[in-house]
Amino acid sequence: MPAQENSVEKIVLTRLMRLNARIYGVVTGLVAGLTLFIATNWLVLQGGPVVGPHLGLLNQFFIGYRVTFAGSFVGLAYGLVTGFIVGYSVARIYNWLVELRDKRHTARRG
Amino acid sequence: MKGESLIQEKTCQVVVIGGGPAGLTAAYELAKRQVPAVVLEKSHTVGGLSRTEYYKGYRFDMGGHRFYTKSHEVKKLWDEVLGKEFLVRPRLSRIYYNNRFFYYPLKPFNVLVNLGLLESLRIMLSYLRWQLFPYRREETFEQWVTNRFGRRLFEMFFKTYTEKVWGIRCSELKAEWAAQRIKDLSLKTALLHMLMKPKRTIKTLIEEFHYPRLGPGMMWTAFKEEIEQRGGVVQLNADVVRINRDGNSISSVLYSHNGVTEEIRGDHFISSMPVTEFIKKLDPPAPIALQAAHKLHYRDFLTVCLIVNQADLFPDNWIYIHDSSVRVGRIQNFKNWSPDMVPDPSKTSLGLEYFCTEGDELWNTPDADLIELARREAVRVGLARFDDIEDGCVFRVPKAYPIYDADYREHLTCVRSFVGSLTNFASIGRNGLHRYNNQDHAMLTGLLAVGNLIKGQHHDLWAVNADQEYQEEIREEEKVLPKDDVAVVQEALSHVFVKVDRLALGVSIGTITGFILCLMTAILVVKGGPDIGPNLRLVAQFFPGYSVTLQGSFLGLAYGFTAGFSLGWTVAFLRNASVLLTLHLLRRGAASYVLRRTLDYL
Repeated sequence: MPAQENSVEKIVLTRLMRLNARIYGVVTGLVAGLTLFIATNWLVLQGGPVVGPHLGLLNQFFIGYRVTFAGSFVGLAYGLVTGFIVGYSVARIYNWLVELRDKRHTARRG
Repeated sequence: MKGESLIQEKTCQVVVIGGGPAGLTAAYELAKRQVPAVVLEKSHTVGGLSRTEYYKGYRFDMGGHRFYTKSHEVKKLWDEVLGKEFLVRPRLSRIYYNNRFFYYPLKPFNVLVNLGLLESLRIMLSYLRWQLFPYRREETFEQWVTNRFGRRLFEMFFKTYTEKVWGIRCSELKAEWAAQRIKDLSLKTALLHMLMKPKRTIKTLIEEFHYPRLGPGMMWTAFKEEIEQRGGVVQLNADVVRINRDGNSISSVLYSHNGVTEEIRGDHFISSMPVTEFIKKLDPPAPIALQAAHKLHYRDFLTVCLIVNQADLFPDNWIYIHDSSVRVGRIQNFKNWSPDMVPDPSKTSLGLEYFCTEGDELWNTPDADLIELARREAVRVGLARFDDIEDGCVFRVPKAYPIYDADYREHLTCVRSFVGSLTNFASIGRNGLHRYNNQDHAMLTGLLAVGNLIKGQHHDLWAVNADQEYQEEIREEEKVLPKDDVAVVQEALSHVFVKVDRLALGVSIGTITGFILCLMTAILVVKGGPDIGPNLRLVAQFFPGYSVTLQGSFLGLAYGFTAGFSLGWTVAFLRNASVLLTLHLLRRGAASYVLRRTLDYL
């Protein structure tokens, strides 16, 4: 098998994926922020005597957050920050573990 | 010089050795730029390996040359030179095997009908057997193909024809040869094809192709006339006997013409003669390159042309003969290439192609015996009746295919290195570059050589067609990436398809989930109040024992970790499985593509 082809096979079948922590953070942040933003506005538009009693409980963790139009922007900001931290942390921990396992694997092979 | 009667000396700016597609293209381009060249052609006619032979008003195309190219420059040249004489012809080609005809490229339903259910089942079982228990080591072509397609398919569609064409048993052909020839089966190519999948196929050579009305020779004769009209010279029957070298440059060429030896001097030399011949004819010789040249080999063939007293014999342009009971490898029906290839519409002309090696038993067989053999075999295959075959002739085509044996790269590199050191010389064409190029690629090398000469460009002629596979499709918006970009895409693809570590993803998501649940619990506990976290407490319905308390926060940590770990591990597992499935499907698609177009690779 030609060397170039061999390298593709080798990479695909033996290497482990690394995650880009920043990108994972941004993506998770965007998903979380937008989800909270849309969910809040959805409930605001639905209206009713008590708007979003359960979602409103989030203000126990996200100070200042309310199920209102203005609150949706606060929720967006909280979602972005929290999501970024979660995604970034998951990716960093994942990469750290993969590096650790790779090093062990390499050491075992000599 | 002893034994030579040197009677004439000429001088011109550019000397082109070889009047095939590459040489004529170079001379034509030079003529267009007011640089008249002298073309020296060994044969009595122009066209080289793509020439058209003539016998009693019948025209015979040596090998069958469809005019198809992805190069706009070459297509433009064809149209420019031949104009309305360039026909669009329907295509049909089949494989003859076991007394049956299979469409080529293979069509699954046609194969199934021809082989029957039992044989098809055997093929499936054979395929499964070799998938499950392949050869541990792939050293030969036979092992390489068998491991991928099973033994029965190998014997049907690879073995006999490969052995006929190359004259080597499949068990002696190196596996590297297969891997190199059948690149479409590689993971790299499959991935690249997937990424650069064209939007749609608009036309395919499976259905039609371009062809000069009187065969390829018509094109080359038109080129010759154009060159001569613009002041160039095309000297036929000019057999180059010696090439004089002065250090790193060529000074003159000695050639024999009608028994007279002439010498022609030039500033620049372009040659499409076999590069091995070029090296052998050099004076003074280049010992290292000469040694390497002796180790580069060719495969030759001869065409036995038969004239049959029948208006219509069969609808194919050509038929591949996979049957081992006859020696013929391919049968051309020239009338189906162009009706004007025969002078009498009530007759048909066939070309039975026998692959051989110059000097072997078949090559040396007298013409009369070859015609007799061809008659018998045409009848044996069921394409003609013995009594209908009324005449025949034989044409031999030496050095038709450069052989890519196990060591050819090493020897070619040596030859190439020497040729590259010559300052006023360029080697072009199939045999000039010892590359299995089609005529359009050969022409492209001629064009590029002129670009290097006139415009001072730096095209690498040896790289033409180096990494391109032959594809019989003209596709819309097809993009051919430069070599560097291919490497980048390949690298990027490799990263996309690598595995996700299940354990690492499980642990990382588990850790964060556990931490979040723990933190949420702790925040509510710290905040206090008469009824702490009534909603978060509902989590206990799924996590028994959990409560919104300090102890509960630790239990939440454990539960969160477990749930997150399970989620992460499962996501990674499913993602890896789907990637493997995608790769498997890609490989199967590539295998099916290769199998249907087997002969394009051999």
